This record gives sequence, C-alpha cells and structure tokens, in this order.
Amino acid sequence: MSSTLIHSLWFLLVLFSRGIDTTETPPPLVPDDPPALLEKSVVLKGDSHVENVELLEPIKVKLDCTWTGNKTKLPNITGYWKKDGIEIDNTQVRVQLENERYNLKKVFSINKDNLGDYSCVFVGSQDGAKIDFHLAAPKMSDMRDKPVVSYVGDSVVIDCKSKKPPVYWLWYKVNGTEKELIDTGANSSRHRMHVNAEGYHSKLTVLLVNESDAGIYSCSAVFHIGASEGHVELRVITFIEPLKPFLAILVEVVVLVFLILLCEKRNSRKQNHSGNENQSAQTSKLAQGENGMEESSTIRQRKM
Amino acid sequence: MSKFQPRPAPPPEAVPDGGWGWVVVGSLFVSSALVFGLIRSLGVFFVEFVQHFDESAQVISWITSIGVAMQQLVSPVGTALCYAYGTRPVVMMGGFLSGMGFILASQATCVTHLYLTMGVISGSGWALVFTPTVASVMQYFTRRRSLAMALGFTGIGLSSFAFSPLFQLLVDTYTWRGALLILGGLSFNMVACGALIRPPGGPKAAVVVETQSDVHSSACASALSKAYSYLELSLLFQRPFLTYSLAITLFNFGYFVPYVHLVAHSRHQGFSQYQAAFIISATGVTDIVGRLVSGWSSDLGRLRLPHMLCLWTGLTGLFLLLVPLGSLGGSYPGLVVVSLAYGFCSGAMTPLVFSVVPEIVGMQRTLGALGLLQLIESVGGLLGAPLSGLLRDITGNYTASFEVAGIFVILGTLVTTMLPHFFSRTAPPPLASPRTPGQDTKDAESALMKSPSSFSEGLNHLDTLPFTEPQLDRSSLNLDQGDLPLKQGRSEVDNDC
Repeated sequence: MSSTLIHSLWFLLVLFSRGIDTTETPPPLVPDDPPALLEKSVVLKGDSHVENVELLEPIKVKLDCTWTGNKTKLPNITGYWKKDGIEIDNTQVRVQLENERYNLKKVFSINKDNLGDYSCVFVGSQDGAKIDFHLAAPKMSDMRDKPVVSYVGDSVVIDCKSKKPPVYWLWYKVNGTEKELIDTGANSSRHRMHVNAEGYHSKLTVLLVNESDAGIYSCSAVFHIGASEGHVELRVITFIEPLKPFLAILVEVVVLVFLILLCEKRNSRKQNHSGNENQSAQTSKLAQGENGMEESSTIRQRKM
Repeated sequence: MSKFQPRPAPPPEAVPDGGWGWVVVGSLFVSSALVFGLIRSLGVFFVEFVQHFDESAQVISWITSIGVAMQQLVSPVGTALCYAYGTRPVVMMGGFLSGMGFILASQATCVTHLYLTMGVISGSGWALVFTPTVASVMQYFTRRRSLAMALGFTGIGLSSFAFSPLFQLLVDTYTWRGALLILGGLSFNMVACGALIRPPGGPKAAVVVETQSDVHSSACASALSKAYSYLELSLLFQRPFLTYSLAITLFNFGYFVPYVHLVAHSRHQGFSQYQAAFIISATGVTDIVGRLVSGWSSDLGRLRLPHMLCLWTGLTGLFLLLVPLGSLGGSYPGLVVVSLAYGFCSGAMTPLVFSVVPEIVGMQRTLGALGLLQLIESVGGLLGAPLSGLLRDITGNYTASFEVAGIFVILGTLVTTMLPHFFSRTAPPPLASPRTPGQDTKDAESALMKSPSSFSEGLNHLDTLPFTEPQLDRSSLNLDQGDLPLKQGRSEVDNDC
C-alpha cells in the first residue's frame, strides 16, 4: 500500500516537474485525483497474439488478458508477466477457471523509461498461451521506402507524417552512426533548410540542394512518452544524369535515320540504272503515238 | 488537247504483299507502341504531378484528355498533309513533334505548360504519326492486310505491359523531369520509323487529277478546293458515311468504359488491388488474341464484313451488360470470365470497324474518311468516360455505367444494320465520288472490294481516356487507330483516266 502511494507521488512529482520546465502553467496538483488509466483487454482463442498499444504520454496501463483455454481445462493454472522477454519478479499467480476462461490483469505505470513489450503468460499442464502488448509511441505512417531524388540547385521537400500529432518535431541528418540535429535557427549554417511542422505533418524544405546534402534524414516525432522516428534518404543528382541516356538515344535515332536513307539511296540508284532504259522506251512510244494522232487530225482537216 | 490531261503516272507496282511490307509493319509496331502504349502508361507520371504541382487528379487528368483530343482532331489534317507532301515527311515530322513535346514538358513549371507541351504538341505529333503509318501498311498488303495490321497493333498491347514498370523505374531514378526528357528521346524513334516508310509507286500522282486546270482561278480558291478534296469533306453529305460515323460514335461511348472502370468496379466488389490488376492484364491479353483471330478470320472471306462487325459488336455489348452480373455475389471467377470474353470480342471488333470503311466510301477515299471518322468518333470517346463517371457518382456503384455502355454499343450495332445493302449477299457499289469519272472505275473498285480487306483498328482513341481515378488506370485503354486506304487505289484510277 505504501509503495503504491510512493509510486503515485513520484509519478505526480514527475508530472509537476515537467510542468515547471515548459512554459505552460503546471497542472494543479490534486493528489487524490488518480492519473489517467488506459485499459487494454484481449481475449485469446489460440496460443499467441500481439497487440500494439500507442501511448502519447506517461500513463497507467491496465492490461487484461483472457484465455479461453485449451482442451483440458484445468481448474488451476499459473500465470505471470514478462517484460521484453524476461519474467518480472513477483508476478506469478494462480489463475482460476471462471466461466470456462482464465484471466490475468495487471496495472503498469508506464513512462518513457519502461516502454517495451509486456506479455502475460499462461502456463497450462502441457501448453500455454502468451499475449504480447507492444507499448510504444505512435509510429510514423506511410514512410517512403524509395529515396527522394533531387537535382543540384533545385529545392526539395522531405515530409514525415505521424499517426498522432506529437508535442514537437525534430530533424536529424544521419552521418554514419552519428545523428546531427538540424538547427534551423537564423544564425546556423543550415539556413537553407526550413522546417514546417503542423500537427500530423512535418516538412523539411532544403533550398539550393548541393551534393553534400545527400544522405539519410531522420524525422523524430517527440511525445511525452518518448520519440518515434522515421528515415528518408535524399539522393542528389546533376542534370547530366538523365542527359546521358537521352543523348545516347538521340545518337541512335540519328544513326538509324542516316543508315535507312543511305540504303534507300543506294537501292534507288540501282533501280534507276535499270529503270531508265524502260522509261525512255515508253516515253518515246507515247510521243510517237501523239504525233501520229496529230498528223491524222491535220490530214482530216486538210481533206475537209 | 484538253487542259485536263494528267501527266502519265508511273505504273502501279504490283502490291508485293510482303517483302518491304513487313518492315513497315515493324515500323507500325514501334509507332503504335510509342503512341498508345506510352499514353496508357502515363499514369505513373500523374501521381508525381499531383504531388509536385499540388493539384487535384481531375486537373492532371486533363493532360491526357487534351493529348488524345489533339490526336483525333488533327488526324484529318494529318491525312490531308499526306496527300500533299507524301507520308514519309509527315510521319517524321510527327515523330519530331511528339519528342519535342515531352522534352519541353520536362522543363514545365506549372500545369498549363504540361497541357501545352504534353497535350497539344505531342498530341499533334501523334496524329501525324499514327494514321499515315497505318495507311502505309495497308498500301503494302492486299490479301494479308488485316493480319499485317493486327500484328502491327500488338505493339500497343505489349508495350503497355512493359512501359509501366519502365516508367516507374525512370521516375524513381531521375524524377519526373528526367524521365520526361528520356521519354522525349524515345519518342524520337518514331522519326526513324517514318524514314522506313518508302512510298510504293512514288508520291501521290492523284493530286494532279484533282487540281482544276483553270489557270485563271486565284491561288486562294484553288487552295481551298484542294483542302476540301484533301479533307474529303464531301463525305459529310453522304448518308451511308453519316450512318456509319453515328454507329462508330455510339461504339465509342461504350467501348472504353471497362478499361476506365473495371479496376474500380472490382475494388468496389471487394477484390484486392492485385486481383483487379490481374483482370486488366488478362483482358489486355485476350484483346490482343481477339484482334489477331479476327484479322485472320476476316481475311478468309466467309462472311461479309459488316455482318462480322455486327456479330462482334453485338457480343461486345452483350458482355458489357453481363459485367455487373458476372461479379454478382462476389464471384471472382465470374468477373474474370466475363472480362476475358469482353476483351476478346472488343479486340475482335476493332479491326473490322476499319475494314468496313472501304465498302462504304470506296478505296480511294478511305484515307480521308478515316481521318474524318476519327474526328467524329472523338465525341463518343470524350463524352463517354465522364458520363459513366457521372452515373457512378449518382448511383454509387458501377452497374449503371456498364449497363449504359452496353446499351450504347448495341445501339451502334443496330445503326450499323441501317447501312445500305446491309441485307444483301454481295458487297454494294461504293459511294459515288466527285472525282471518279465513269463507270469503269467502279468496276475496278468493286473488284477490289470482293477481296476482303480488313483494316484493323482505326478509330479507337480508347486507349487514352481521361482518367477519373489516376491511381487505377495505368494500363488498358484500347486505342487503336485506323487504317488509311490505299494510295494504290488512286493511282489505279489515274491509269483508267
């Protein structure tokens, strides 16, 4: 009993100190008012299940596991809790069979230091069941897996979208294993970069991109409970890149056209040599025919 | 000595039905791939444009609409230019224009630039390339014309499979600007295709017959009369042509609806994205098969061409009506079967839609007739997609769209039966042309008519439908442009004079 009182007092103290750090007015301290409680309950029919729980701030979480049991429904089985795969001490209890089900409940006080995977485990005679609760800050939604490509001198926008609006956004540039915070203040060297953060979205605009800007950028959505990150890769290319295949194709087209017309000229020259004789024969016949007609008409006229 | 004396035309070369003709078929293959295959795969760019220019899908989809509209509207101009200058220069110019359009588009800073470059300039280029190339293929073949055409058009089907992933790769590597630049270069290959088109029998000698040899007429009047005859505008006053153009327009209202809405319909019925994409791909395959089968079988000459046309269009309309029924109760195999059947019949119908044209207007006028038909049928194409989209918005599902589309196609079939001499066993005499003096030419033409000349595909601008939902329709709009009639027909007329 006293431990839980100390626990809540400590929790309230943490809340109070946070209130001092920010510019907001600290929330009124009402020791009797219990902090918010989030209830998550899962009913398991099979033998394992994973549940994702998104937390925005330090909160008490009540995890409620119900198992419908296996074929041999023993009246008593054991159950315990695990955190990140390691059994939590002093959590083993006997679980009674009620209404053909086994039930385990526990309340955890979660803050940013003890996020992780919490599991309730039922141990039956031959088998058991496990329900994992993955407690974490809300993940990013729709992260691009393809790199963002930009040309040198152009401006590019990298954006991140979160499922829930965080308290604030942070952007980092990842150099190997180091993360360098992007400072968009007026005096920094990175004045080419602007961050536009509006609730769910945050956009990093890089003006006048140059080759050193290429790399992995990390956006961090900071909640009370912790931060959730997303990564976007930026690739920088010069305009020569697409120009190379373009010029290659142009050269190919010009060569093709040249070859085709050249072949045709050669073939037509051959044909002309053989065809000329035929044509001259024809035209001479026609000329003779016309002359003949004219002569006959003039003859008629003379006769008449 | 009559002033009307034509200079002696070179004797028409015997149509080889092969030889260099197959090279021209290859040229058609590449050209149709680079025109319609490319248009079908532009969906990849739409996603990028929507994001970059921050505009709605509707605004971006106008780019293809304008491109297709230009391709159809400029078609008669393209055929008229072929009469004047010969096919080869026109096609090479067309290839150059379509390439330039994309190259300029890579520098666009607003959507209007894209309308002007990708829409107007490239669209005009496509018009100058496609119809003349089709005509040239027809010049080189008589007996196996429809097969040659069908083979040429398989370029569209195959390229639409290959281009979508290729374009996606280009956009991922070079962004859309670089990708458009490379596409422009690819389009320049059509210039090389144009260079392959050797005109058999020399440039159009028929032109000489047309020019009124009145030396006192002003240059303006003679230019106008030239334009009048090049554009075959006299066809607009003849009932059979008008009947047929009405029928084709009705076909176009309904023909493309599945290609625009089939994916959306299948998603609506609850099938996954991959299942929907599979349906479209499979329909594309049966489309190609249907064209080849129809081209080959109509060459055999068992049935008269208008009858075969009615058969295939009737079946197409029927399967359109059945599409909503096929997916009734969430049955995926049912939808697949109906879509495959639809694909086969619509592919089979397209070659015949063009083959019938010479029967109606005569061989020598088919070139201009096809140009005009493309212009007129564009009404059906442009109105059909928004209409079906509207029906979907009103009723909430696609059943009404498919039913209405099927009804339009069947109406077109009924209008086709109103063609003169439809119910007779033999081909009717073609329309009297103001240029053909005397009966002997008619005999020559009707003799030509008897050999089934199936022109494949001419009219469909279907491939380039304006997308209402750009993320859906990357593939499948069937556009097949039509064939042009023989220049050979004209030179024969000259000899008779």
